[in-house]
Amino acid sequence: MEAGFLIQLLVNGLVIGVIYALIAMGLSLIFGVLEIVNFAHGEFYMLAAMAAYFLTTNLGLGYWPTVAVVSVAGLAVGYVLYEALLASLRGESFERSILLTLGLSMVLQNGAIFLFTTTPKMIVSPYTYANFIFGQVRVPVLRVFALGLGVAAFALLYLVLYRTQVGKAMRGVAQNRDAALMVGIDPRAISRLAVAIGIGLSGLAGAALAPIYAVHPLMGFSFVFKAFAIIIIGGLGNVSGAAIAAIALGVLENLMGGFLPQVTVDGLAFVAMIAILLIRPEGLFGRGVRV
Amino acid sequence: MNRGAAPLAFLVALAALFAVPRLTGNEYVLAFGVSFATFSVLASGLNLVYGYTGLLSFAQVAFFGVGGYTCALLVTEWHWSLWTSAAAGGVLAALIGLLIGYSSLRLSRHAFAIVTISFALLCMIVSRDWVSLTRGSMGIPGLPVPSLALPGGLSWRLNRPSDFFSLMLGFSLASHVLIYLLVTSRIGRAMQAVKLNEPLAQSQGLNPLGYKLLTITLSAFLSGVIGSLFVFYLTIVDPSIFDFYYTETMLIMVILGGPGSFWGVLFSTAVLTGLPDLLRFSTDLRMVLYGLILIGAMLLFPGGIGGWFKQRRLAHWRKQPYGDKP
Amino acid sequence: MHTMRRLLLALLAAGAAQFAAGQAAQGPILIGSSIPMTGGVSTFGQHSRWGSELAIEQANAAGGVLGRKIEMDFQDNRCNPAEAVKSVSQMIAEKKYVAIFDGLCSSAALAIMPLVERAEIPFVVANASATSIAEKSGIGGNKWTFKVNPTDASMLDALVGWLEKQGKADNIAFLGEDTDFGRAGSDGLAAALKKRNHKLASVDFYQKGTADFSTVFAKIKAEKPAALALYAIDADFQNAIRQWYSMGGGIPLTGRVLVDQVPKEIMASGFLDGTTSVQPYDPSVDITPTNKAFVDAYKKKSGGVAPIMVGFESYEATRILIDAIKRAGSTDPAAIRDALTKTRYQSIMGTTLEFDQHNLIHNNAVIIGIKGGKVVVFGYSKT
Repeated sequence: MEAGFLIQLLVNGLVIGVIYALIAMGLSLIFGVLEIVNFAHGEFYMLAAMAAYFLTTNLGLGYWPTVAVVSVAGLAVGYVLYEALLASLRGESFERSILLTLGLSMVLQNGAIFLFTTTPKMIVSPYTYANFIFGQVRVPVLRVFALGLGVAAFALLYLVLYRTQVGKAMRGVAQNRDAALMVGIDPRAISRLAVAIGIGLSGLAGAALAPIYAVHPLMGFSFVFKAFAIIIIGGLGNVSGAAIAAIALGVLENLMGGFLPQVTVDGLAFVAMIAILLIRPEGLFGRGVRV
Repeated sequence: MNRGAAPLAFLVALAALFAVPRLTGNEYVLAFGVSFATFSVLASGLNLVYGYTGLLSFAQVAFFGVGGYTCALLVTEWHWSLWTSAAAGGVLAALIGLLIGYSSLRLSRHAFAIVTISFALLCMIVSRDWVSLTRGSMGIPGLPVPSLALPGGLSWRLNRPSDFFSLMLGFSLASHVLIYLLVTSRIGRAMQAVKLNEPLAQSQGLNPLGYKLLTITLSAFLSGVIGSLFVFYLTIVDPSIFDFYYTETMLIMVILGGPGSFWGVLFSTAVLTGLPDLLRFSTDLRMVLYGLILIGAMLLFPGGIGGWFKQRRLAHWRKQPYGDKP
Repeated sequence: MHTMRRLLLALLAAGAAQFAAGQAAQGPILIGSSIPMTGGVSTFGQHSRWGSELAIEQANAAGGVLGRKIEMDFQDNRCNPAEAVKSVSQMIAEKKYVAIFDGLCSSAALAIMPLVERAEIPFVVANASATSIAEKSGIGGNKWTFKVNPTDASMLDALVGWLEKQGKADNIAFLGEDTDFGRAGSDGLAAALKKRNHKLASVDFYQKGTADFSTVFAKIKAEKPAALALYAIDADFQNAIRQWYSMGGGIPLTGRVLVDQVPKEIMASGFLDGTTSVQPYDPSVDITPTNKAFVDAYKKKSGGVAPIMVGFESYEATRILIDAIKRAGSTDPAAIRDALTKTRYQSIMGTTLEFDQHNLIHNNAVIIGIKGGKVVVFGYSKT
């Protein structure tokens, strides 16, 4: 077994794992702070990729400006999303929030299909065919960029959550909403920020991946199910747990994919999720709260 | 309408319904009937699980598809008859339903929703990847025209859409009678108690798990059987039978009709089955509309149509003066 | 007076009825085409449409058939068998189509076959290449299905024969889509290789719409085969070629590589030199002058896009169907079916086309490759 082959698989896995992490962390954050499972999460990732496609192809915007614009747009969209739809739910009957976000995902996904058709679109950028070459291992430049952006996003999120007042407040609300209220934290403002960050992360992921894969309205669908499995494996509401589980899944999928048929790889996330639920329902890293 | 007239009117309406194929050979009407029969069983099953027992499960479509594949494989590989294969499809689906019902014990409602939705997706992945069993994305086309052996030595060849119309509508009717009897019985009231307040119901001696298992298993069985009949109507079964589209549609029917409202869901199913052909929307726009309805319902009227009627009845009841009627 | 008015009305009514009946008889002849108009194979569907429409325009310009115009209605089947069944069942129920056309994807075509047999309407397959379609048609099978394009088995046999002559037929790895098309590819290759005492080095399938090929490519490269047979189409092919390029390639491609769909930059870079492929058609074929005329007319219709095999196959298959209707002398489906069996048609590929006893046409296939950054025709082969 060649080392070069293994390293190639590892690198592939890391890149895809970081992308999974970006999406899963946002989902986890939103659940932790609002107790809402955002079924529409994948659609925001897809919309971001679509936006990146149009910005690049129709407006001729470069890679980095596109990423910046789309990520910021993601933050804004998250803000609006909270105010318009989620604020009134206030963590009540959980079914209402699930069904609401499900409805939202239906609107966004099918709206995108109607407007853009399911025909995949490919972005051609100057980086499309560029590679970093380390001996036997070739990594496309765009994937390295995605990796870098992901890592930067982690770092930023970590700083916000653990080094700022606002971040502390978010962790407080996630731990115990009522207690947070009692000490004077405004749950509304915190929730709004959490949703903005969550959607912003999806936006970043979408813009980073758009030039790598084909862009089409159903691309969010399959990612979001992996994200669900990841947040259960990591522990519902545990953001760092989600990140670790995501990277682990990405690497494992690629390592397995190098030797086993694709079939087994597709089912891996689901099987892992079931296993965790049977053995350790609160997730690998728990939350302090039972699942 | 006095008590005697209601059942009679009902029977007359029923007779009229089944006479439809004889009165008109119109393909659209027959297709509508088959569609309505299918979705009504799915939606009522979901209503039973979610509306009456309070368990939000997205696994319904998995039962539908498993039933379809089981029946198709049994008929094409082992040459069983449609009767037994469809029953087997229902039974297998019911067993899976039982498993899923048990899992609800250990999981929070969030995790349960996620697990059921992932399970439906897993079914699609398995049907696509396990090519040696299911022929993968190619599906099993050319399902043979089924023959049902009827009592009296007769054999009914279902080679026209009107045959499937009668068969599936008949099954839908039987399912609905069964569900109606269930929800208006003591068991039904117990289910509603569990939905309203599970700990309180438990303190009264009711076992919530039992009711959850009952509803999930029953709805799984019914979905499995209608799935079996549906794929023979289509003459093909392929992974698209697990499409999220079915989940989304039956969910809308339940939400719009009102979770827990038997007639509300039946009504909304009829409307939502007929509407697409009338409006001639493309599928995607229709889904956008459904999504908007879902959002609107969650924000504004979570009880659906049935809930609205219930509120009116309650308001009317409240307006009654105290004491006996004058 | 009263009687006069009644008589007049009766005459008018009779005249109107006659007129209406006459109009009905003069209405266009309708053919129903089921193609993927959206989804990952939509480009192919678009080419099929262009090819068919070009053939129909030419036929109508020459006076139509039986004194009537020909029209084709297109229904989207999204390359999905259940969708195909739903849309074609609808078309058949409407009872106004004299024939069903294409299907395009092999899975869709196979799903449509039982329907046309039940409804007794001819089905002309133009692009679906799975060998099982022909195996199940004609004598001892579905008498209403006709296949115009060569089967995978025969084309791959021609390709392997060619490779064998150059000593390049051994140690071939296979990667294809997990559909009837892809599986027909791996079966066809394996059979052709077995005849010459070789076998495939490895077989891998991917799901249609897969985004990431890097892992499976890394796996294949690690096994160091002499060639990689790639069975991918349309959007998947685009994605795969890009990622193959990113991974540095290093292994010549073969199978049914869509050499005319390779992105221009990659082609020009010479990266894919050494590719050998077999296809039913290539725009540069110049056996007869008719191809140039066809390519020019096609480009005019498509807005500058050159025809790919799908466009060519749909064009010729539509012409064959129209010719059959002419020879049948009526729009009765059974008569058209009989006329189809007696087809003798001059193809752009320089051959005379006839249906064999499995309702299959054996046209020539083109063995093409990439050399010096350009598509080069290496030769032709009977299928």
